Amino acid sequence: MKLKIFRYDGEESHYDEFEVPHEPGQTVLDALFYIQENLDDSLSFRYSCRGAVCGSCAMLINKVPRLACRTQVKTLVEGEDSAEIKHYPALDKGDEIPERAVLVEPLPHLPVEKDLIVDQDKFFEYYRDVEPMLKTEGEAPQKEYEMSPKEVNELEEYTNCILCAACFGACPVDGENEDYRGPAALAKLYRFHIDPRDNEDRLELADHEDGWWACEFHTNCQKVCPKNVPPNIAIGKARSQLQKEDE
Amino acid sequence: MEKEMLHEHEILVIGGGLSGLRASVEALRGGKDVAVLSKVHPLRSHSVAAQGGINAALGNTPDRGEDHWEDHAFDTVKGSDYLADQDAVDILCKKAPEAVIELEHMGTVFSRFDNGKIAQRPFGGAGFPRTCYAADRTGHNLLHTLYEQSISGKIKFYDEYFVTSLIKENGTCVGCTALDVREGTLHAFSGNVILATGGFGRIYNRSTNALINTGDGAFLAYDVGAALEDMEFIQFHPTTLYGSNILITEGARGEGAHLKNSEGERFMKDYAPDAMELAPRDIVARAIITEVNEGRGIEDEYVHLDLTHLGEEKIKERLPGIRQIAMDFAGVDPVKEPIPVQPGQHYSMGGIFVDKDCETDVPGLYAAGECSCVSVHGANRLGGNSLLETVVFGKTAGKKASEEVKDKEVNESIFMDSVEKDRELIDSIVGKKDGILYSEILKELRETMFQHFGVFREGDMMKEGLDKIKRLKEKFEDVYVGSDDKKFNQALIRTLELRNMLLISEIVAIGAIEREESRGSHYRTDFTERVDEKYLKHTVVRKGEEAPELEYSSVNLDRFEVKEREY
Ligand SMILES: Cc1cc2nc3c(=O)[nH]c(=O)nc-3n(C[C@H](O)[C@H](O)[C@H](O)COP(=O)(O)OP(=O)(O)OC[C@H]3O[C@@H](n4cnc5c(N)ncnc54)[C@H](O)[C@@H]3O)c2cc1C
Ligand code: SF4
Ligand code: FES
Repeated sequence: MKLKIFRYDGEESHYDEFEVPHEPGQTVLDALFYIQENLDDSLSFRYSCRGAVCGSCAMLINKVPRLACRTQVKTLVEGEDSAEIKHYPALDKGDEIPERAVLVEPLPHLPVEKDLIVDQDKFFEYYRDVEPMLKTEGEAPQKEYEMSPKEVNELEEYTNCILCAACFGACPVDGENEDYRGPAALAKLYRFHIDPRDNEDRLELADHEDGWWACEFHTNCQKVCPKNVPPNIAIGKARSQLQKEDE
Repeated sequence: MEKEMLHEHEILVIGGGLSGLRASVEALRGGKDVAVLSKVHPLRSHSVAAQGGINAALGNTPDRGEDHWEDHAFDTVKGSDYLADQDAVDILCKKAPEAVIELEHMGTVFSRFDNGKIAQRPFGGAGFPRTCYAADRTGHNLLHTLYEQSISGKIKFYDEYFVTSLIKENGTCVGCTALDVREGTLHAFSGNVILATGGFGRIYNRSTNALINTGDGAFLAYDVGAALEDMEFIQFHPTTLYGSNILITEGARGEGAHLKNSEGERFMKDYAPDAMELAPRDIVARAIITEVNEGRGIEDEYVHLDLTHLGEEKIKERLPGIRQIAMDFAGVDPVKEPIPVQPGQHYSMGGIFVDKDCETDVPGLYAAGECSCVSVHGANRLGGNSLLETVVFGKTAGKKASEEVKDKEVNESIFMDSVEKDRELIDSIVGKKDGILYSEILKELRETMFQHFGVFREGDMMKEGLDKIKRLKEKFEDVYVGSDDKKFNQALIRTLELRNMLLISEIVAIGAIEREESRGSHYRTDFTERVDEKYLKHTVVRKGEEAPELEYSSVNLDRFEVKEREY
């Protein structure tokens, strides 16, 4: 199996090619470890859970932002990759996908720190900007706040986000507008908005041109999300609610 | 050392998982200047992976009547094979309901019963449906909630800082040194130290743990003279996905999944006829290995966890994460086919010795969560009790460490010396031109641990294992890192982790060899009985002049009478 990998040491960038023996079930993350452990120990990439729950390993794999630990090498090499997203300028920047090989590059729209590691500070700054913490009024009950299973189901769609930033790297608007809060932060804000326990007027916080109104509904966010979070739907609902309030 | 490399705080929390964040929030509430150091961004901590749930005697299940914390305590003590300290278990179980309600008030979206109350499911070894859950993503939901709480205050986060050593002054712990992984620079930190560094599962090759669970905290504490307790007790989870060893939660069996061998038989009937699939983990893990060893495994490697009879709707609603994992990592849709599973390392019951206030035996040093051993799990942890431990004792640690903050001058030279020492260590590894790569030693170590200190243990086999570990330690003298990059030198980090893992492995080995009985997760084929007269005791290991020194200490048995453990 051939992997072509973007390299950057803080000054210069280039691509390296590695040949990695195939193992059944091998993920791109497994292959990166093989390289780090056997071929080139200077290769850097983020990892932790290796089970698609911690959100560490989002990167651009064959020109689609996704989790390295959840992506099988074999499907990519054999051309069975079914992931499809709308094209955007950042994808034209690097090398092209070589024949029967895997191209691994850092997530777009965030500054590269080293090799496949990007600086996520901006992503988390936008997350913090939406004040993602439950705000309740009055004295809390002795027991839990009651909630119906239906309310929980609705919330879960959004609480499932693992803040991997794949959507940030896939969103054409984030590529053009540096100040756009991005799909994950807006989905998080919506999650608190619909939480029946929360008393704040939440939608206001992103009622500006770099918030709800910046989205152009390319829906790449939902397509790349490893947890099936639909930020585009949250944004659509928030907008129509704000419009209704205006009327 | 440049001045800006010394960071002064009142409380240093090492670890950004559930224990660390709960401790930080508590210290902040106490008005302290708190810093959290974590080798990965807090949300990437292993806690995020916990699936099944968190225990509390809320008694929410319709038509099941009341639950009592004393019953929770009894199940915990019995599950521990009586090695848990019963006074600590009392605290854990008594505080459980308020801890869970607090998490709910902080914003966790728990799953609900139709009546609107937090839903609870049955879990292995528990006599009542007591495990509160957020689908099968409980850890994820709790960690995100606590992170949300912790960023709303004035906690200083040092993300991607790898702690390399603790600093002592006149016998008291006064701070630590850490490598800024992003920049490759060493920094010193002053303050009371709370270790919340999680478990050490990755000393095994088959493990459900995150790759970063390398036991750094236990190493750090041991190195400054703190005791490690019951390190030989390692829980093996019966159902991990064949291949990647990703966990398939016990919740699946709680929902009614069946374990079947190659003959399609529900073999648990031969091992635990009453509890069947819901017998405690150690019993189920041994049953699976026995089936495989006796030729009733599939491909001689695994057995089947069958959910198909639960139906598509229930699987999709209650176990969506498990279904996704099976599809992504094994190409199996549990709605249609059984999941291939085998036992794997899952939890470290032992850890840094602490008392009920989370104090280690080094003043100024506290510990909570999986890295510690307050001993609520004894020889075997019940599912759902460790998430509970992180929040209950994380809070305690934050409170206690805050109460003991003292105004004092920071003696800079001690901090400088410590940074210098670590710099020399790092230079000696990175500066070498050739030698042995960490990856070679690591692979051998992990295989050794699974083979020699796994589910079934035996004296001679273990002694051979210990010799291997010692040889690997010698090999480590020649370890080197090829890359001299400053930024994100992960080979260096992994080499430092390996140093920690080698020591931890040795201590696990020593404890296991000395304990000539079978108890909970520690099962010896040469001593199959539990021997209370001699070993109803905690193993305590401290750093000695030359080698680790082992002794035994008593177990608190205040509440429940010690009995045979039957299911
Ligand atoms: C797959 C899986 C599922 C589980 N499910 C359940 C469940 O359903 N119910 C339950 O009760 N328990 C469960 N557990 C157990 C439970 O998740 C853990 O015991 C618990 O989350 C540990 O939390 P912690 O805060 O102590 O440590 P962790 O969450 O592991 O956090 C450790 C922290 O320490 C930091 N750290 C470590 N070393 C260093 C260093 N050298 N320098 C700086 N920082 C460092 C890390 O960055 C991390 O932030 C599960 C465990 C696994 C493996
Ligand atoms: S919405 Fe999905 S893609 Fe975006 S950060 Fe969350 S989990 Fe990742
Ligand atoms: S390593 Fe955790 S999401 Fe990939």
